[in-house]
Amino acid sequence: MLSRVANNLYWFSRYIRRAENMARLIDVSSQLQLDLPRTAHIAWRPLVDTLGASAEFERLHGSGDAPSEAEVIRFLLVEPENPLALRGVVRHAREILRTVRETMPQDCWIAVNDLYLHIETNAERAGHRRHRQDFLARVIDCCLRVSALLANNVSRDIGYQFMRLGSAIEQADMTSRIIDAAAAGLIQARSEDDAEAFRAMQWMSVLQSLAAYQMFRRHLRQRVGAELALQFLLKDREFPRSVLFCLTRIQGMLQQMPPQRLVQQAFRRGLGLVFDADPARLVAIGPCEFMDRLQVELAALDAAIHQSYFPG
Amino acid sequence: MGITFTVYSEGRNVDRTLPFDLIPRVIERREWERTAAGLRQRMQALNLFIGDIYGEQRIVKAKVFPRALLKDSVNFREQCVGVKPPLGVWAHICGSDLVRDGDGTLYALEDNLRIPSGVSYMIENRMVAKKVFPELFETSAIRPVDDYPAQLYDTLAALSPRPGDTPVIALLTPGIYNSAYFEHCFLAQSMGIELVEGGDLFVGDDDICYMRTVYGPKRVDVVYRRVDDSFLDPEVFHPDSVLGVRGLIRSWRAGKVALANAPGAGVADDKVVFTYVPKMIKYYLGEEPILPNVPSYLCHDAKERAYVLDHLDKLVVKPANESGGYGMLVGPRSTKRQRDQFRRLIEADPRNYMAQPTLSLSTAPILGDKGPEPRHLDLRPFILSREDVYVTTGGLTRVAMKKNSLVVNSSQGGGAKDTWVVDLEETA
Repeated sequence: MLSRVANNLYWFSRYIRRAENMARLIDVSSQLQLDLPRTAHIAWRPLVDTLGASAEFERLHGSGDAPSEAEVIRFLLVEPENPLALRGVVRHAREILRTVRETMPQDCWIAVNDLYLHIETNAERAGHRRHRQDFLARVIDCCLRVSALLANNVSRDIGYQFMRLGSAIEQADMTSRIIDAAAAGLIQARSEDDAEAFRAMQWMSVLQSLAAYQMFRRHLRQRVGAELALQFLLKDREFPRSVLFCLTRIQGMLQQMPPQRLVQQAFRRGLGLVFDADPARLVAIGPCEFMDRLQVELAALDAAIHQSYFPG
Repeated sequence: MGITFTVYSEGRNVDRTLPFDLIPRVIERREWERTAAGLRQRMQALNLFIGDIYGEQRIVKAKVFPRALLKDSVNFREQCVGVKPPLGVWAHICGSDLVRDGDGTLYALEDNLRIPSGVSYMIENRMVAKKVFPELFETSAIRPVDDYPAQLYDTLAALSPRPGDTPVIALLTPGIYNSAYFEHCFLAQSMGIELVEGGDLFVGDDDICYMRTVYGPKRVDVVYRRVDDSFLDPEVFHPDSVLGVRGLIRSWRAGKVALANAPGAGVADDKVVFTYVPKMIKYYLGEEPILPNVPSYLCHDAKERAYVLDHLDKLVVKPANESGGYGMLVGPRSTKRQRDQFRRLIEADPRNYMAQPTLSLSTAPILGDKGPEPRHLDLRPFILSREDVYVTTGGLTRVAMKKNSLVVNSSQGGGAKDTWVVDLEETA
């Protein structure tokens, strides 16, 4: 397997996974806004910071801390200056797929093209709340269709391992970013009493963004609270979008790849961090710093993978 | 129905479908065998010529081929002087264009010795035709064409500097924006070889060419390059080329990697050098040419130039080194302004131009909107040179889809037909 091809497969599946998570995050945030009374509103800005696009956003909209919903949604969906905008991410995934098209099933190309055409045609309209939910639901469907095609129709060769690796790292990263956004205080309430009341709602919406709410209820059978939600999303061994689950998957994949010391080291650092994490303490001190550290470790793992498997 | 390719110079690159015409072009087996023998003879002479030009230059010393032409050739590569590629073959893969004149004779129009394309269309067109006319193919009087990838693989494998081991062969493509990218994928897949871009390869201090894989560097023995000479190695040619591989020419000169076609093979792929092919055949092989050249006038010769300038309205004028039908003048279809422009171009750089009479090119029926209509066509067989010489059965028939047009190039709106070499003596 050529390094370039492996690299492209890895990023292709990362971008598809990223697009799906972004669509979920925007969808759930938009719906949460509808549930809130007039005395509280969502701070949209943390969504931008979560996705690591603060610099681009401030260049366009200044550094005022209360941008409007319309501004943020447009920025996250279609802004050409934002390399992390949903449309840009999907365009990029499609471009990459073009270069490795001969290694992938034809159906996959068709599915990605459907996703691409849907976004090119409808993304501008999704700024409007009435169209947004349908638009995002279809983005999520298209992404899941691509994942399903890969899971069912691709031989388990080394190229496939790189795709799985990409999607597992991306999911771990997006899970931590979505927690980050919530912790940064998505809901802004006028009084402390209101804030207390909305906190549960907030963690519910985080779980929903990660399609985790139902599984959380079924497996923990408890009310949603910060500590349990963190426990579930960070350390649950059975839920596929939890960070620990993703890391465990990565561990299995690395065993099937040509061994690389750098990658193993980076992986163990990330795994150790999550193992040692104590949700109760994270709630007490606020989880943002931890999530940042986790993102740094995942970035280091990504760098080690590039250095070891995709040199040049 | 058809295959996509990319058209340049329409503002931006556009993917277009190569139109496929259902009515096959039929050639009788015995005529084809004669033609194939002519093509083999041409290729032997051309390979001897290229080797000679980069070696002793006997043909120049014998005054059969003028030294002046060599000096001005843009495809002559200083770096190739003295190199002796395996089997003495430089142009392993050649696509020669043939046309039939009003008198029924097949003429050679040009030999594409650099990176000829189109062979994938030949194979795909046959697959389509078999779907449409299964009954006709059952008679088995139509000779198959799908042997080409296997033949090409053997041609490439024979060049490996490590005979005995299974060679590692890679097709070097400029990438997805190249007009022939589809063909590059097609050939790599059907031969089961790697499809690589410049960045996938590197040459080590040991002069060996490697590809970057997830298992670490892996030695490459043969590179079937579909990148033009001048972009092949920034160490030697265009220093800013990102399509090529630094050190590739060094590795090739050291005999550590084989390149097909060899760099510099294009020296014989020049519409002016072309006119000397009959003389080459006589000089190197001592034979009479089996396949005649389209008669040509060379503008660097004062007498012939005068004739060309006086008859611009009757001739087809071509620049020596363009391909794809770009930058040529079709006299009888031209305007006075175009002719004046070419007059100035020729006078400024006579070496770069040659002219040919406008042949009354043969036509074949295509399926138009209102039924069959005649269109002009040509034929591009592909010739593989190794210890022996292999010629495809028939080749790619290109057809001008526009009424009365003489230009069949896909980049200029041409289409394609399946080509049937048919054995009339064999009964069904």
